[in-house]
Amino acid sequence: MNSIKNNNQSIRSAFGDTIFELGSAMSNLYVVNVDLKTSLSLDKFANKFRSRFIECGVAESNAAGIAAGLAKSGKTVFLTSFACFSPAINWAVIKQSICYQNLPVIIVGSHAGLLSGDLGATHQMLEDVALMRTLPNMSVCAPIDANETTDIVKYLAKTISPAYLRLVRPSTPIVPKIKFTPGKSQIIQSGSDVTVLGYGPVLLQSLEIKNFKLEIINCSSIKPLDSETILKSIKKTGRCLVIEDHQKNGGLGDAVANLILSSGIKCKFISLGVDNQFGQSAKDWQTLYDHYGLAKKAIINAIKKLL
Amino acid sequence: MNLFSNNKKHPLSEISRELRIDILDTVFKAGFGHIGGSLSSIDILVALYFSKLFDFNRDHFILSAGHLCLSHYAILAKLGKFPKKLLDTYSEFGSILQGHESIDVPGVEYSSGSLGQGLSFAAGLALGDKDHHTVCLTTDGEHNEGQIWETVMFANKYHLGNLINIVDCNGIQIGGYTDDIMPLKSLAAKYIQNGWTVTTVNGHDFNALHKAIIRSKNSTIYPACIIAKTISGSGISFMEKNPQYHDVKSLPQNLYLTALDELNQK
Repeated sequence: MNSIKNNNQSIRSAFGDTIFELGSAMSNLYVVNVDLKTSLSLDKFANKFRSRFIECGVAESNAAGIAAGLAKSGKTVFLTSFACFSPAINWAVIKQSICYQNLPVIIVGSHAGLLSGDLGATHQMLEDVALMRTLPNMSVCAPIDANETTDIVKYLAKTISPAYLRLVRPSTPIVPKIKFTPGKSQIIQSGSDVTVLGYGPVLLQSLEIKNFKLEIINCSSIKPLDSETILKSIKKTGRCLVIEDHQKNGGLGDAVANLILSSGIKCKFISLGVDNQFGQSAKDWQTLYDHYGLAKKAIINAIKKLL
Repeated sequence: MNLFSNNKKHPLSEISRELRIDILDTVFKAGFGHIGGSLSSIDILVALYFSKLFDFNRDHFILSAGHLCLSHYAILAKLGKFPKKLLDTYSEFGSILQGHESIDVPGVEYSSGSLGQGLSFAAGLALGDKDHHTVCLTTDGEHNEGQIWETVMFANKYHLGNLINIVDCNGIQIGGYTDDIMPLKSLAAKYIQNGWTVTTVNGHDFNALHKAIIRSKNSTIYPACIIAKTISGSGISFMEKNPQYHDVKSLPQNLYLTALDELNQK
């Protein structure tokens, strides 16, 4: 995990820079915020596009409704907050006012997962993927690095239906040759022993494991899930490991397990995630990944069990 | 209070009576429906849709309290948005007329049911479409929801002079009287303190509603709230102010005929 700690590019900044860039090109692009402008790197957008930066104050439910109403009037709307507040507080509003109306609102939940570190359990959103992937009309994306964040934001700005974008707090390494394709997963390392699936920077740890032939697949599109790429790989390896900085319940692991069982393909399967627990503060999130079984050591142990 | 006293010679009163019968018929046939609030809100909707003060092909109407859909369905059928006989399918499997209204229904702009959300949606719509008015219908019981108050502050901040929130204040919610469930104290004071233009009216008096709507439309800088004092179940004596008729699971034929008889004699 040192490579993540020492890296140099911020996913949040990539988000803010891309939104700023799109703000010039798209006169119908609005950002709805809940007093977390700086935390989401939105100062530049807010200063330049004052009339299109809508500050709702600390009121996530209303913010989701405002975003929906703006979208109904023909705007493309990014609803921006921490994941522990949006979609956590305003999920029912997202369901009724955004998803059921099928409106183009992109819900951006930053500071997701244990990576929010010292903020503690209340701010470590570990249930957002579960909440969002169950909603009809909703797509769910989680970029692995800053470059993919840019690609995904540009893609989502043109969509005509609701989407959830999961972002993390720290700066993280850039993965070479990452290319986001809507609805698809990307094989970022080919191998024949074990298929490793995940999303977000937690997956990067598997790239540091060199003693096994791992096929590492970046599932940045969590919904829709790229069943073709995933099943093709699992058919080849016969072993599947899912890793996610999220509760095991309701996350990608559950989605992939369902996919495999439904396909009839026989394979060994392990899902790594937070196991029915709350998070806690730590100055170094490496400590948290060690404690909750998401660190490199836990991944290696899981691989050994599968082989 | 004779709720028709002020309306006897008003041209809209006959439409209102006809739509009350449609609501009653629909509930009787379906054996289900939120009839109390539908009857308390019907005069408000008649005033909105038939007073020529709005063009809802361009202006927006958002029913936040989705359980009042029966009154909205009756209006939309009357306007020819869908065949009136479709009311007979209300809440049946496969019908677009669900127990809470959805955008599948022609003329409906917002799918509602979970209370407190529609005013936010209406405020967002008003912010995004400043060339037209957005009118929202909420209820007094709905003001238990914190989201309403988030929007009340928001609409003031963004000077949504094209937003009108009409509150159907019938004093009854699903669990009983609003004063017992959660006292609201003065709604008018709360809205005034938050910078809204507030008008309190008899929600069954078309002349008063007409004036209140014009006053609200003229409030072009500040959002407007019309506090419409209404009677739950209005027009059917045994239902009026009776919490049992907030919603019904069935309506026996003898009660249906009694109610129909009363409406036919108005």
